[in-house]
Amino acid sequence: MSEDPITKSHAADFPQDEPRIGVYVCHCGSNIAGVIPPEEVVDFAGKLPGVVRSIDTMYACADSGQRLIKEDIAKYGLNRVVVSACSVRMHEPTFRGCVAEAGLNPFLMEMANIREQCTWAHGHDRAGALEKAKDLTAAAVAKASFLTPLNMIKVPVTKRAMVIGGGVAGINAALDLAEQNIPVTLVEKEPTIGGVMAQLNKTFPTMDCSI
Amino acid sequence: MVDAARQPLIEVKTFTEVEKVEGYVGNFVVTLREKTKYVRADRCNGCGACTKACPVEIPNYFEMNLAPRKAAYIPMSQAVPLIYNIDMDACIHCYKCVEACGALEAIDFSMEDKLVEQEIGAIVVATGFSHFDPTPMTEYGYGRFPNVITAMEMERLNNSAGPTNGALIRPSDGKSPKQIAIINCVGSRDKRYNPSCSNFCCMYAIKNALLLKQMHPDTEISIYYIDIRTPSKGYEEFYDRARESGIRFIQGRPSEITEDPDTHQLFISSEDITLGKVIEREYDMVMLNQAAIPQPDQNHMSSVLNVAQSPGGWFMEYHPKLRPIDSPTDGIFFAGACQGPKDIPASVAQGSAAASRASRILHSDSWQIEPTVAVVWPDRCVSAKGQACGICARACPYGAIDYTKGLAAEVITAKCHGCGACVGECPHDSITQLHYTDAQVLAQIRTLLAVEPEKKILAFRCQWCSYGGADLAGTSHFEYSANERGLRVMCSARMDADLIYEAYRLGAGAILYSGCHPQDCHYITGQVVGAKRAARLEKIFERMQMSPGRFRVEWISAAEGDKYARVINEMQASLDAIPEDVLKAEIERLRPEMAKKLTKLDEIPGVAQALVQVDFIVNEMVGKEKVA
Repeated sequence: MSEDPITKSHAADFPQDEPRIGVYVCHCGSNIAGVIPPEEVVDFAGKLPGVVRSIDTMYACADSGQRLIKEDIAKYGLNRVVVSACSVRMHEPTFRGCVAEAGLNPFLMEMANIREQCTWAHGHDRAGALEKAKDLTAAAVAKASFLTPLNMIKVPVTKRAMVIGGGVAGINAALDLAEQNIPVTLVEKEPTIGGVMAQLNKTFPTMDCSI
Repeated sequence: MVDAARQPLIEVKTFTEVEKVEGYVGNFVVTLREKTKYVRADRCNGCGACTKACPVEIPNYFEMNLAPRKAAYIPMSQAVPLIYNIDMDACIHCYKCVEACGALEAIDFSMEDKLVEQEIGAIVVATGFSHFDPTPMTEYGYGRFPNVITAMEMERLNNSAGPTNGALIRPSDGKSPKQIAIINCVGSRDKRYNPSCSNFCCMYAIKNALLLKQMHPDTEISIYYIDIRTPSKGYEEFYDRARESGIRFIQGRPSEITEDPDTHQLFISSEDITLGKVIEREYDMVMLNQAAIPQPDQNHMSSVLNVAQSPGGWFMEYHPKLRPIDSPTDGIFFAGACQGPKDIPASVAQGSAAASRASRILHSDSWQIEPTVAVVWPDRCVSAKGQACGICARACPYGAIDYTKGLAAEVITAKCHGCGACVGECPHDSITQLHYTDAQVLAQIRTLLAVEPEKKILAFRCQWCSYGGADLAGTSHFEYSANERGLRVMCSARMDADLIYEAYRLGAGAILYSGCHPQDCHYITGQVVGAKRAARLEKIFERMQMSPGRFRVEWISAAEGDKYARVINEMQASLDAIPEDVLKAEIERLRPEMAKKLTKLDEIPGVAQALVQVDFIVNEMVGKEKVA
């Protein structure tokens, strides 16, 4: 694993190791498996060059799914992981964390989105969805083959918060932060804080005073 | 309010606007404009002598313009901080306030706006909401009929600190109204104005009705509603209390209010769904329960903060379910109604949630950011060879590239946000983006187009918006053609022309070039760079006489799942409209032209090796030895 996140020498341009990829195809209950047979994606991916392990799992994100991936990394000497499951917006951090726990650099994990962008959108065309799931998995395998390890960049943190807007939400956020000993700048464009709340008479459901 | 002012760690800056937000998580630099109050905060003791002396009277917006205020003023008596203001637009420069202030010398007409910069680790955006102005709904006569008032006007009229000291009077004659109607969903759940529900107005109507009934038991109150929505804890019971106390609930959206011009009595025509007929009832006064709408400057704030807006204009959260407090920009969080209409309990809760999200960062000594940054190959950079260039530095939205002629361009890693604009723009392929290298993206393109490429719609999507739009299409189960093959880069600015040429060379049927809308860009001006390139490509492909619909450029937000599905389906229809043999002939005709534009692709470090290996994958996929 490279120590310097930004290798100016570009040792990271091309991976130095032979890929040993593990592919995990998630059923997501019936969310994926209800539209396509995950085993077919597993069989297809298993034949791709560089893939040394290909298997389906009921819920890749569940403890059992993550345990399987972690155990396989040790057992099969995996140096890349492909998870064919849901959106990166949902679980990329989950699976990066999962492979990191098994000692793999988190950036050596690639996801294929075969749920939001496949089975959920192509319920009317199961054959098309299966072909697409295979292609998306293959693309993830291809990208994974050329992934290089990267390290997160550490930046310093200025210990001061800014809350923009001095209404009920902003005031409460500012107070909560200050009570944790964090200095806060509370910015309000009107001449007084209070926002809409200050204009209200009594408030529901307790019928108490707003200010 | 007072607690915030008293808390020594909170610096309250009122009459202050955010001009500019630069930097990144843990390291924002915010420029504030402290507008001058013409009153020195360190001297004003809040005595109000200036207000008494001021001869100018103008409507007080805090009182919904139902009462006057002076040019030397505070908006309300409980103002925090208690510092007076001189409204320079209204001031006649008589200087009576200066005289009245006397030895305090707090009023200073020479004061000017001040720009201040602050270094900030995390930002909570709590800019709130605004109220729909019902004037355009002419059927309700607001503005023409004096006794038709808005909810906020009722709020002030019924408030003991308000202009009438809480005496409920009708504006036309000052008499106390006995028959009051409240109309719900004014400007909300109405496709002409705002299709969505404003969340808190049902409870708000009930609150006002109960309050009026409490203070004036002889008043009869009717609430016109479409549905009554009281889902939170204790709300249904609140509704029950209102029904038990004799408040009349009429299910039906009034079609019209008419007025007797002599008495100013009002007549509401409406359907009553329970009775199954159209009814007309007479009232002394009508309150319009206005929709909550985004702030008038929400679009402006959206660009200052670099955060996207959902349909309807509210700020858009990172993920509606999993990260409802976070903005898509690390270190910026939302609290309250700026993200969508919320009542007080929800706003307070979200304020605490945002504080908690922000404090994760603020309690850390350092924060980690993704290493998906740009890196220059110094030996490939033409500037190092003495050529004037600097295209990368001009494309960078963050000024993160040091360019000096004669030296290789250099990326300042801490400033780089990883959009890839420099990578997409560099004409010499001298820059790459970690985790989105040309080798990696080309490998994806080749595999996605391995089988029957002419049938495929290859969709380039940015991480923040159009990828999110594609996700939402799926989450909403909007079906679209399964011939779509998507791939993700961080920003449309990274969608290098080479990637597009290569996809066509491989025989792609159609290509979607998509990213965010310009105002939503996660990388300030990344989309602008992407859009310019897309426009250039459109012209090039037009000159090549490519069939229409094979190259499409669309800006799709993470909230536009329907648009994503529609665009793909339209692209499929355009592709279907081209006869198969015509399409194949066109692909063959253009293949050498595309190849000509790609002569140097193999020279990019890592690409040649990668493509050899990808061919093994592609061969496996198509089950044959050679590929195009």
